[in-house]
Amino acid sequence: MAKLYRSREGDITAVDTKSQLTTLGSETAPGPLLVPAGIRMLKAVIAVFATSSAVAADGNMFIRIEGPGLPEGPETVAIGSHGVAVATGGHGSRTARRFELDIPVTSGNEILIFAENCGEDVGTETVGVTLEFV
Amino acid sequence: MARTITVEGDVNAVDTRVLLSSQGSVSAPSLVVPAGMTTIKKIIMTAAADGLAAGQAMAFIRLGGNAVLGGEQTIVFGGEDSATVQSGSDAAPSLGSLFMIDDADIAVRPVDTISIAGEFAGADVGDMAFAVTLVYGK
Repeated sequence: MAKLYRSREGDITAVDTKSQLTTLGSETAPGPLLVPAGIRMLKAVIAVFATSSAVAADGNMFIRIEGPGLPEGPETVAIGSHGVAVATGGHGSRTARRFELDIPVTSGNEILIFAENCGEDVGTETVGVTLEFV
Repeated sequence: MARTITVEGDVNAVDTRVLLSSQGSVSAPSLVVPAGMTTIKKIIMTAAADGLAAGQAMAFIRLGGNAVLGGEQTIVFGGEDSATVQSGSDAAPSLGSLFMIDDADIAVRPVDTISIAGEFAGADVGDMAFAVTLVYGK
């Protein structure tokens, strides 16, 4: 069966704060992310983040996936880290990572995606997550 | 057997869907899925920002149009950090991220049109140049 890709993104503005990813760029209200009909498995998660580097600090990012679409319960994945010595200049480019998981899912039910900054507060982060269903 | 299509374009504003419809010197490459091709086997995505404004941006693509059988597919692939430099100093270049999905396995209908759009979310860090290659297969 062919794969299906569904994404959400959002901002994290505080450390140790669970932030739900509910938008997708120009789509400000894409609605609930439902497991598509006929789908039985979350094959992988693709995730990436960017940070404003506005604070001289170091921290990590991870995501939480939860909701009735996950019959085995919530899952967490560390997706990257960031540290900078000064907050007065610098550019960075980040590449997404694909995390192969094979997590069973329940078709027609919602999956909620959250992101979180742990460690120190490294500024504002935008986090994007794609769920790869099969 | 495989066939490829590469498209590119500039995205100049945050939260704005931009169709990637050109290919450098070719202004309007065909976006018709080649005959006999029934799947997107691989996807190669890259983007880089000029970082003229401070903030953070996350880049993703949208694959849609009549040829994509499972509805619009959205895939995140890159991030750009931008802290503007102090007056009079220089910043290092931002080397664009490149992300490839080796086994994308997205079902498409041959001889129908696909749309490929680029977008970034978060903050407006300046202009961002996108390029996407699709590798079709059977």
